[in-house]
Amino acid sequence: MSGEPTVYFEDVKVGDEYTSPGRTVTEADIVIFAGLSGDYNVLHTDAEHMKASLFGERIAHGLLGLSIQQGLLDRVVPGQAVGPLASVKWKFKGPIKIGDTIHVLARVAAKKDGEQPAAGVVTVERRVVNQRGEVVQEGETDHVVARRPA
Amino acid sequence: MPDPRVERRVYFEDVQMNVPLETPGVTLTDTHTALFGSLTLGRPADPGVIPELIPLCMSSGLGWRVPQPPLVVLAFMGFEWRFLKPSRVGDTIRSVSKTVAKRSMKEGGVVVEERSILNQRDEIVQSGRLTLLVAKRPPA
Repeated sequence: MSGEPTVYFEDVKVGDEYTSPGRTVTEADIVIFAGLSGDYNVLHTDAEHMKASLFGERIAHGLLGLSIQQGLLDRVVPGQAVGPLASVKWKFKGPIKIGDTIHVLARVAAKKDGEQPAAGVVTVERRVVNQRGEVVQEGETDHVVARRPA
Repeated sequence: MPDPRVERRVYFEDVQMNVPLETPGVTLTDTHTALFGSLTLGRPADPGVIPELIPLCMSSGLGWRVPQPPLVVLAFMGFEWRFLKPSRVGDTIRSVSKTVAKRSMKEGGVVVEERSILNQRDEIVQSGRLTLLVAKRPPA
């Protein structure tokens, strides 16, 4: 539909690397995510409470960071090379604060057979990096990618 | 008399192991997809299909609708998650969770929560384990 060439499992290579554009995370992003998710934890919504906290200010929901990096990576990965998510293993290593600019570094780490013969599983390692070069989130995602039709 | 401004809270010491907690449900709509799409600029979903990260994100908020004081989470440390079945517009999801491990640390304690998201047909659509750093009860 988008006119993009279809990318099949066979086209994805272990070692393929992707670098996303950056994105500045704003207060509005956090407010919208709180409304969408219903997660109004004080960590994300109470500026006064957070002044006295470990972080000193409100921080983005961890899952907001995960969601933003997914969108950022979608912008640079061709076709369905990184298709629907099958699983995620993820670590939140540091806070994303209002005004921080994050981008994603991703690498295809492995390919293996899937449960169905028509598709394989691609494992992607991802690091979410802020404007100071600090890794704030990292992990790996498995994706089901269709094989080239015979 | 307790200060009404101070909401009651669940600290590390209060967390009980293996007690299942079921949340109320939420019906997934096109509006959720549109809001999520505008927030993340992700790949457009096929019509009627809910982007797979939405149920995961909403499961944290569902926990806030259970009539019990909130857990004092200091930080979300990580999680492992499996996406088992797609969700569609009109599906109603709820979350069932329990604590499966607790480990006391110098500052706070680590709590491991096992969580499943079920739909209106009681199918498990997503499930996994989340690791949280939780505050200890401040000295009285």
